[in-house]
Amino acid sequence: MNGTPRILNRILLGILGAKLLLIGALLVLLATVPAVGRWWQGWSADLWGGLRGLFDRTRIPGQPVSWLWMVMVVLLLLVIGLMVAWLAQQGKGRANLLVAEDDAGPVTGNVRIGGGVAEQALRAALADRPDLAGATVATYEFEGEPALRIRIQPRQGVAPHTLAAELTALVEALDAVVGKRTPVLLHLGSGARSRFRRAERVR
Amino acid sequence: MSRTAERSGTATPAGGAGSPPPGRPGGAGLDRILARETTSSRAAASVIAAVLVIGLCGYALLETAVRAVGQPPWLIDPQTAAERITALPAGVPPLLLGAAGAVVFVAGLFFFLNAVLPGRRARHVLANPRAAVVVDDEVIASALARRARLAANVTQEQVMVVVSRREVQVNVRPTSGVPLQAADIQAAVEDELRDMAPSPLPVVRVNLASAGVIGA
Repeated sequence: MNGTPRILNRILLGILGAKLLLIGALLVLLATVPAVGRWWQGWSADLWGGLRGLFDRTRIPGQPVSWLWMVMVVLLLLVIGLMVAWLAQQGKGRANLLVAEDDAGPVTGNVRIGGGVAEQALRAALADRPDLAGATVATYEFEGEPALRIRIQPRQGVAPHTLAAELTALVEALDAVVGKRTPVLLHLGSGARSRFRRAERVR
Repeated sequence: MSRTAERSGTATPAGGAGSPPPGRPGGAGLDRILARETTSSRAAASVIAAVLVIGLCGYALLETAVRAVGQPPWLIDPQTAAERITALPAGVPPLLLGAAGAVVFVAGLFFFLNAVLPGRRARHVLANPRAAVVVDDEVIASALARRARLAANVTQEQVMVVVSRREVQVNVRPTSGVPLQAADIQAAVEDELRDMAPSPLPVVRVNLASAGVIGA
């Protein structure tokens, strides 16, 4: 439920993958089929000749270098910047506030409840349970509104539906405290802690 | 500790469109959360791809900038590189060229398949009136293994459950000399699964091993 841009990821991965597939196939063909080698030498020599002419025509007056090199530097910097921006999009979406709303009362101002309230309350409620190996609660922004992600690691053999029902009761109690129904994701997962620790207590 | 294992559901046939969970009062927002949580975000492959492109562009930037200010190149001048590439089958041993091509091809295949495949995670959705609930298949497997173990009256090591998207496989090795009824185990596991009601609901298959365990 984080804000990773999934469609963008797939589009960019598809473009990069298709390019690498083409280059790889071309290299293998060049190494194995002589006819492809002859075609490539003719085709790429023409292309390179055209480019060289372009570089010759775009020289900076009084200097032997073309200003196209500068353009290439700028373009490469742009691509690097875009890639860094893409990296920064992965896994974003953590939020700080659970509620930020205008109070209907006579006092002017907003009511803000930090995500830490829900996180601390739920973690405290879950801390002493013997059937859980771990619990983490985080606030995320999902489609512009805050949402809670509760990740639980039950011990081996715990029935997930009964656990989910008990946690739902906790979430509803939290709803009553906060006064607002936030979207909640409950993820019952397995991790190293639930797999390797003693399971006798719940079995 | 029981041998519970999970397997990703990508190999199961007749996948179809990822069936959305049954209607809930929570609305479309929870459904979208569930849709996102049951598929991979491709973040890892994206990070690898972005770092790769940044590295390549960084090197090209270095050589281009060196060339633009008229300094000698670091490793290879862009112009010389282009000339070498145009002359390609010549100048490089064909084995090296083919191997490099194969490596690039496989890398391309990795990224392309990451972009195209559905990327379902090994998770099931549970119906819930309040929250969006996703459960790792491993958790379902360990709960079912416990139920199967109690129904068969065997130890933890004798039961192994594999949960995939549309199938639950229960493998039981009976204790030597103690007959087991596969139908009983099947009924118990199906009962538990019906209570759990994961979506999509998998089919239960029980395999009794022909060889028993001694002294369990």
